[in-house]
Amino acid sequence: MSLDDQDLSSLIRHHATRHAAPDALRAGIHAQITLAEAGRSAVPLPAEAPRRRWFDFGWRTASVSFALGLACAFVVLPVLQHIDFNEPVDADLVADHVRALQVGPVTEVVSTDRHTVKPWFQGRLDYAPPVFDLAADGFPLMGGRVEHVRGNVVATLAYARNRHVIDVFVWPSAAQQAPVRSVRKGFNVVHWADGSMQYWAVSDLERIEMERFTQLWLDRVAAQ
Amino acid sequence: MSQRQVFEARVLPHLDAAYNLARWLLRNEQSAEDAVQEASMRAFRYIDSLRGDDARPWLLGIVRNTCFTMLERQRNGPELVEFDDAEFEAAVGAVEHSPSDPAVHLQRQRTRVQIDAAIRALSPRLREVIVLREFEDLEYAQIAKIVAVPIGTVMSRLARAREKLRGVLSQTSLGE
Repeated sequence: MSLDDQDLSSLIRHHATRHAAPDALRAGIHAQITLAEAGRSAVPLPAEAPRRRWFDFGWRTASVSFALGLACAFVVLPVLQHIDFNEPVDADLVADHVRALQVGPVTEVVSTDRHTVKPWFQGRLDYAPPVFDLAADGFPLMGGRVEHVRGNVVATLAYARNRHVIDVFVWPSAAQQAPVRSVRKGFNVVHWADGSMQYWAVSDLERIEMERFTQLWLDRVAAQ
Repeated sequence: MSQRQVFEARVLPHLDAAYNLARWLLRNEQSAEDAVQEASMRAFRYIDSLRGDDARPWLLGIVRNTCFTMLERQRNGPELVEFDDAEFEAAVGAVEHSPSDPAVHLQRQRTRVQIDAAIRALSPRLREVIVLREFEDLEYAQIAKIVAVPIGTVMSRLARAREKLRGVLSQTSLGE
């Protein structure tokens, strides 16, 4: 049987698999855009000002300003209050994670024992981050360190998974946030908050492994 | 319209096309999701550069570049071969037919598996032109812009890709 270009085209068009975007992907993009939009509105891009032309001013400017004001009041402000400028933070955290792996130290206190790591934070922080031992589930604790993120002193726990390192950044937050995953420079970042602390787990691990780690963490918190 | 509204109205409707391209290029569900999420964020950030252009090839270009960056990072693709016979044989050979399937359905399924396997076995550079042309129905000029090569190169790659597919699909029992 011989196939010309037309036959081949119609074979592919009729029979090859078309992959539809999964719902989880759509949801992830929506969540990330909400975060990004909040970050963007908080810090206007300098490039936007010169792009305006003189004829943009006038009644349109007034209505646009009014609409922006409304958007700020109803959308951006509540979001900002809940997420504390999250969008730029995850970039900072990925940078911290990379720097720790490149020049160290990944751990300032080296211990697989949470009863050593947790007290080590006392005197260095004005809060007590939860520390869990997840070795039985394949994520052994390596230790902890303190990072400075935008003026906050942030507890950082390092967990190992095979040859990968997961950094969990922990600091207080009154917000509640179900886990949201984002990808930054190829690193997976999972963020969640449980009403007392906010957590940011950063690693080059695959998504499934990160989801497992997050679930283990949530289970431990729930069991407390 | 806010940037978000522009993104939602013009870019998000092409998410299936974006995912399909990434899925074919990376040949892996998870990597494809990661790539499309990363590409979407890039698209959102640079939404102003879309202007009056057609959003679908614009988005596919961003997805394509994200995928190739990932492929280079993984360095796992046998870039040197234009058609991976071992990959094709393995995929086609792995299919077990369930005896309860009606014959017509079985034939359709076999055809699908063979065509999918043949496209998967193409090198990424040949695979992308096939997906953009046959799935997305883009014009040569649009493909050339996305892939960042001259139109002549697109045409010669398409011809080579079709030659490979024809060669391997003609030998099978397609359509008989």
